[in-house]
Amino acid sequence: MFLFDTLSAVFTVLILLGIVPNLFYAFGYLPHIKRKTHYLIHYFGFILSMIGVVISANALVFLFFWELMSLTSWQLILTEPKDKENLFAARFYFFMTHLGFVCLLLFFLIISNGDINQSFSALKVIASHFAYPTLLFFFLIFGLLSKAGAVPLHVWLPYAHPQAPSPVSALMSGVMLKIALYGLFRFLFDILYPWPLQWGVVILIIGAISSLVGVLYALSEHDIKALLANHSIENIGIILIAFGMGMIFDTLHLPLLSAFAFIAALFHIFNHMSFKSLLFMGAGSVLHQTNTKNMEKYGGLIKTMPITAITFLIAAISISALPPSNGFLSEWMIFQSLLSSSHINIMTLKLTIPFAIFALALTGGLAIACFVKAYGITFLGLHRSTNAKHATEVNSLMKTGMILMALVVISLMLLAPIYIHYFSNTLISLGKADVYHKIFPHGIWQMHSVGVNGGVVSPLILLIALLGITFLLIFAYKALHVKERIYKTWACGYRTSSRTQYSSTGFAGPIRRFFTWLYKPQEHLNTEKVKGHNTIFTSSHYAVHVKPLFEVSLYTSLVRLTNITSYWVYRFAHFEQRRYVAIIFNLLLMVLFSYRIFSHQFSWATFAIETVVMIMTIKILVIGDKK
Amino acid sequence: MILYLSTIILLVVISPLLLSFITQIKMFITFKKPISIFQGYRNFSKLMSKETIISEETSAVTRVAPFLILSPLLTVLFLLPPIVKGAYYVSFVDAFTITGLISLSTFFLMLLGLDSASSFGGMGSSREAFISALVEPAMILTVFSVSMMAGNLGIGQAGVNLASSFPQKHMASFLFSAISFFILLIAENGRIPVDNPQTHLEVTMIHEAMILDITGVYLAIVEMASSIKFIIFASLFASLFMPFGLQFSVPIALMIFIAKLLIICIAIALLEVSTAKLRLFKVPNLLGISIVFAFLSLITFYVLGA
Repeated sequence: MFLFDTLSAVFTVLILLGIVPNLFYAFGYLPHIKRKTHYLIHYFGFILSMIGVVISANALVFLFFWELMSLTSWQLILTEPKDKENLFAARFYFFMTHLGFVCLLLFFLIISNGDINQSFSALKVIASHFAYPTLLFFFLIFGLLSKAGAVPLHVWLPYAHPQAPSPVSALMSGVMLKIALYGLFRFLFDILYPWPLQWGVVILIIGAISSLVGVLYALSEHDIKALLANHSIENIGIILIAFGMGMIFDTLHLPLLSAFAFIAALFHIFNHMSFKSLLFMGAGSVLHQTNTKNMEKYGGLIKTMPITAITFLIAAISISALPPSNGFLSEWMIFQSLLSSSHINIMTLKLTIPFAIFALALTGGLAIACFVKAYGITFLGLHRSTNAKHATEVNSLMKTGMILMALVVISLMLLAPIYIHYFSNTLISLGKADVYHKIFPHGIWQMHSVGVNGGVVSPLILLIALLGITFLLIFAYKALHVKERIYKTWACGYRTSSRTQYSSTGFAGPIRRFFTWLYKPQEHLNTEKVKGHNTIFTSSHYAVHVKPLFEVSLYTSLVRLTNITSYWVYRFAHFEQRRYVAIIFNLLLMVLFSYRIFSHQFSWATFAIETVVMIMTIKILVIGDKK
Repeated sequence: MILYLSTIILLVVISPLLLSFITQIKMFITFKKPISIFQGYRNFSKLMSKETIISEETSAVTRVAPFLILSPLLTVLFLLPPIVKGAYYVSFVDAFTITGLISLSTFFLMLLGLDSASSFGGMGSSREAFISALVEPAMILTVFSVSMMAGNLGIGQAGVNLASSFPQKHMASFLFSAISFFILLIAENGRIPVDNPQTHLEVTMIHEAMILDITGVYLAIVEMASSIKFIIFASLFASLFMPFGLQFSVPIALMIFIAKLLIICIAIALLEVSTAKLRLFKVPNLLGISIVFAFLSLITFYVLGA
């Protein structure tokens, strides 16, 4: 029933690293939740179900815990059912996650011949005899990626994550999405093993698109938690790029590169867990102190909430993949595995992979822009509202949670060799090559790419150099005894106030304008002008709303199609008797005419006459007059 | 090791000269009386002797950011390809790390712009974020393609490889990536078609807008950082795309290297006097050209082997 192998162990470590700081934070957050029992029951149920998923040994137990995980997190979103938005988000999440569940169930029913109470190793045999493995693959990735939030199944994420209480958002985004990726590791490695080349390419493409779409929609957000939720889509995309590269290298019999890419994916899974949990905790603290999710109402919080600000900065640097943070290290590994594509012999693939490099690099650049925005607008400058002015530092339990999570982030940076060793051992147990000694051939100071003539990075030396030079500079500055004076902001002589600062909408303005074709922004400008003047106004209100393209094009149009179909089904079901008789008469006519056409002779003249007769009878008898 | 350290010190010392040199040529061409080539040093010493005024709206970020802007760039100086034969060099660090360090410096520069609560700072940061986001993919693709030709992803080793055995048969892709890198050099350093460092006009400024509200030693540090950033890009261009002169003895190699830097400066100065600044929303077109050339270079290398 339960199985605890090295893969389960890795993900259990991941869950524990995510949960321990979160527990502190959640208990610090508890006084602000009204339905405490409901919250606690589901919170612990959620944690247990996540652990249950990674240690389950057969499909039944797996599906049970998977469903439990979905249901508890669904109830956690409904902790504070205040408004329509919350109910909508919960319903959307419930629908999407069960759509995924159905696919997973189909997958298991097919590969187990209906008896899902078998161990995973027994399923492999049945799966290998199934004639259409690609069908299985698509069921699997549809089921798992709808949970992980990869494009185009990501639409629930920006709704559901912001609506949950902040510790739960941290868990959902940091840990739960990774459980879906655990499924990818477990079933692709154990059950569907010999992969065709196309599967890896599919994963790679999904990853590249997800990373770009996630970061672009994150940039246009001004709800801080929705921004972070969109970044989860981006990071899942980055992990999938690494995973896809691993699969491609594996099918092309490049075992070292494949193991390297999978290690990069695992490493990024851990990194994303750490910094995204920390970011959600920081956002939760800010939200809790200011009572708003709107970034335009923040500002200047670094002065009153220093711990939150510093931990948020660490996480922001890490998620922007700036050296020497842990996020940089894993993205470096992913870049190196993409750059090793020059070893591939297939020309089309070789020419495609630079586009993935392009997507990943653009994602990195835009992520920096996005986190400058998130950090700068939230924590720097002047207070943009009275709520922000009266914000104070959060209680000590929440602070402890954030500091602990920051320590996890820092440990992932400093102890990267140990973690990588651990991931490497995991992959060995999954039957992949041992690359730890290729990555760290000369001790822990240099990290090598396993490709021929690959790059090298030395995170610790970089960190020491950066810190050393910075402290030398600060020391020199202190030694100079420069006279300092504190005075008003100059700003070319304008008077600065909270309203003259750049807003988050304004900050993302150039990027929004450049990507208009994607965003299709709807702008609303209401200006009340002084009578007789064209330019002088008393008040002006500007709002811009970005259409989520995938949601509009895929989901809303699907809903519309269903509506139209059901409307017509209803219409047909509710005719008067006269009309049914008319329909039967028409059908009879059609049968007679077509019998004549198909089995006797065909002439265009009679065909035309018959068509006209048909149209007329349908128009007169069936459709009738327009009301 | 002594050569290594002294070349780094040399680069730091001559970095203000290059920017003054560009201004000098521009003034000469436009029939103005050229400034002294030592204007960079004069500005620096003037700023160093001033008192530092810190805005009352700022936080700890303003007090730390100038140092964090400079230190990644100083770190990059240690990782550049060698400019004379026999000097020690860090062979292994790849382009992604160098790009990352430069982005780290830009990250803090953008935060510095937002910290003083001035609308100009936000404006500068927003524009810088926009441009540097689009520079990143072009930069990585370009350097990737060069390192493919050089046969090593490490920047230092790639520089040495190119100098010792120039890939004659890959001339086409080499030229494409050179064009791409030159555009990046202009865009990253805020030279004219992208940004005009000389003006303080609200509609045009990017870099200057971010540092409008700092002064004194802090401003000196940030100015120094921008001149060092220029010399990083110029010397990368000199080592990777003009790979000759490394085999001579130290003084001659040094002369050749400085001549290469001066040629780059002259090229930039000529470009600056002959083109107008682009509108902000036209800049992506320029960067798009750079990205396209980077792709072209890769594709030429893969498909034609040329």
